[in-house]
Amino acid sequence: MFNSGEVILALRSTTPLRVSISTSTMTQDVEMKVDVEMKEVTATPSNPISSPDHSLLQNLKEIVSLIETGTYLKEVRRIARAVRLTIALRRKLKASVLASFLDFALVEGSEAHSRLSSYIPKGDETQMEIDIATSVTQGPAKHSLPELEIYCYLIVLIFLIDQKRYNEAKDCSSASITRVKNLNRRTVDVLASRLFFYYSYSYELTDSLAEIRGNLLALHRLATLRHDELGQETLLNLLLRNYLHYNLYDQAEKLRSKAPRFEAHSNQQFCRYLFYLGKIRTIQLEYTDAKESLLQAARKAPIGAQGFRIQCNKWAVIVRLLLGEIPERIVFMQKGMKKALRPYFELTNAVRIGDLELFRTVAEKFSDAFNVDRTHNLIVRLRHNVIRTGLRNISISYSRISLADVAKKLRMDSANPVADAESIVAKAIRDGAIDATLDHTNGWMVSKEMGDVYSTNEPQIAFNSRIAFCLNMHNEAVKALRFPPNSHKKEESAEKRRERQQQEQELAKHIAEEDDDEF
Amino acid sequence: MDPRFTEVSQVFERFKAAFTRNDIDTCTKLLSQLKVMLTEFPSLPPLFKKSPNAVHDLTLARDIYEHAVVLSVKCEDQDAFERDFFQLKPYYTDTCGIIPPSLQEYPILGLNLLRLLVQNRIAEFHTELELLSASALENPCIKHAVELEQSFMEGAYNRVLSARQTVPHETYVYFMDLLAKTVRDEIAGCSEKAYDYLSINDAKQILMFSSDQELSEYIEKEHSKWEIKNGCVFFQKAEETAPCKEIPSLQLIKQTLSYARELERIV
Repeated sequence: MFNSGEVILALRSTTPLRVSISTSTMTQDVEMKVDVEMKEVTATPSNPISSPDHSLLQNLKEIVSLIETGTYLKEVRRIARAVRLTIALRRKLKASVLASFLDFALVEGSEAHSRLSSYIPKGDETQMEIDIATSVTQGPAKHSLPELEIYCYLIVLIFLIDQKRYNEAKDCSSASITRVKNLNRRTVDVLASRLFFYYSYSYELTDSLAEIRGNLLALHRLATLRHDELGQETLLNLLLRNYLHYNLYDQAEKLRSKAPRFEAHSNQQFCRYLFYLGKIRTIQLEYTDAKESLLQAARKAPIGAQGFRIQCNKWAVIVRLLLGEIPERIVFMQKGMKKALRPYFELTNAVRIGDLELFRTVAEKFSDAFNVDRTHNLIVRLRHNVIRTGLRNISISYSRISLADVAKKLRMDSANPVADAESIVAKAIRDGAIDATLDHTNGWMVSKEMGDVYSTNEPQIAFNSRIAFCLNMHNEAVKALRFPPNSHKKEESAEKRRERQQQEQELAKHIAEEDDDEF
Repeated sequence: MDPRFTEVSQVFERFKAAFTRNDIDTCTKLLSQLKVMLTEFPSLPPLFKKSPNAVHDLTLARDIYEHAVVLSVKCEDQDAFERDFFQLKPYYTDTCGIIPPSLQEYPILGLNLLRLLVQNRIAEFHTELELLSASALENPCIKHAVELEQSFMEGAYNRVLSARQTVPHETYVYFMDLLAKTVRDEIAGCSEKAYDYLSINDAKQILMFSSDQELSEYIEKEHSKWEIKNGCVFFQKAEETAPCKEIPSLQLIKQTLSYARELERIV
């Protein structure tokens, strides 16, 4: 049995080992590093003040090594993992740690270093200086990998946003974007896509999204030319978000329908895309498709993304109401959403009962909430559905009813309620909402007898569509299984192997040289 | 003052004079001249080049396009309306900070909404609606169009027709008349399904015809299946869907086979 500490250690040691497999000196170095780390782990409790900072710095250094190996091996997966680990550390970031991290990761005096350092507030440097001194001798020597540079931009940007220094974040992100534009390396893509996201986010926080639209379009074009699919995915979503922020549904739809589509690389981006797609379709009255996208987005979103899921649910509820469906009660009772969905719950209730008066009061009572969600216009559309449900209820309960009573029951307040009721009923009959006939001379609505639905093909069709759904779900799940890349190719080609070995040797030589320099 | 600017404003003055005289031919001729001249101003969309004269240029160009839109309504040319409106739109959306909003903005936006309604382009109608702020929705011109759409969707057709009396702007009448025709077709479609028969007098009233002659002409032209006898209009009901007696065997076989194939894949 392993305990968790050992497992982590094993992981740490295997990653650098693969790089240095051809040189014996390197293995020693790695072992040394592992030893050092172990010592540090044991030593931390004795030094309570600096220990959290120290371990944080250590964590960051591990991420750096992850990025380095990822870059040399051209394994994008590792870099993606580095980004994930960074997000986990996000809450703990401090100016002092970040300053020393920048000193560690970037060549001092380089352009990136001086620029990024200017964003970090100067503070208690003295304490950390000792750490820097030690880390320089312990850790691998400085490199000027572009991936590392971009990573530093990213972490500083995240830090600035968390510190609510949005204007500086804007500067920093713009600078980073200029840098990324000049880099054409596939290993940068993962980091770049995160940068794009925070770039747009920092502008959104300062409410100046319109400024960067042209820039995002240029970046999207660039990503397409470089076959950077993750970047395209991210940028397309950012652009859609940008357009929808200003309610430019027309432009958003035009871009969406013309942008290249491919299998999703990131689940999060795919969720966002589905959400935006659902919104566009709702506005354009394609409710069936909209419902599908919105429900899928809500289902696919990670549990942690509570706010996103609430938004999806809100829109999905409205779309289902517009389709004439009544969402189940359980939708509104989901954990942590009860309060946020309250206005929509009452709205559903009003539609379900088919009471225009109640509907109006609910719409007024929560008008602020609906305005914030920007669903007000959709709520206005719902009035029509309220009338329909009310009418359906009447048609089911009465076999014959005068139009004057229909108008009274629907609480229609117009100059000529009976004439209104007549034409409304006529339209409902034509649209198939109710099964009835009108008798104009007597002013009656006569409902038709309901036939036995089980004597038709209806149940068979419903059953078939459910089976098809389940089978499709299974197929989708099989398709979504992920396998490590190239696992089906057991043997790498001779040429590739030669190339890889050459790279490793170069790297080893490179590191060895630098080691020499230091001594 | 820029000589080009003076030239354009002179032509525009002549255009306006012809416009008030209702001299449509001269107007169209001058308008195409004006449009060509406007292409030479760099401060207009899509370039938006900053220059000291930008405010004057933009205001003048916006004024010209606004007149163009109204002119197209006068000519009853819907395609020209659409073209001119799209040329005008950037002046409303993208020049907020540069020139003061135009008084004509909401009437023209409302007019466009009405056009989309008449052409039954409801998706675009709602897309345009999303672009408007809450205060814009309160404007009588916009509100008029929004309420029309609602009544239209609900089926309260007489409300749509009575709205013709309360048009907020004289240019709206043209589209309202077009809308009345659409409404009549809708009513005819609904009546066909909802009633078994109607007396001729009722049918006349419901379909808004003043004489029996017009009614029978309309029925002959649009709904030849309807029958007039004994002073009543009989609608031909679609065949009732009778309960299914037969088993759709071919379809069932097809479905069952596909289940078998899918199951094979899983096991």
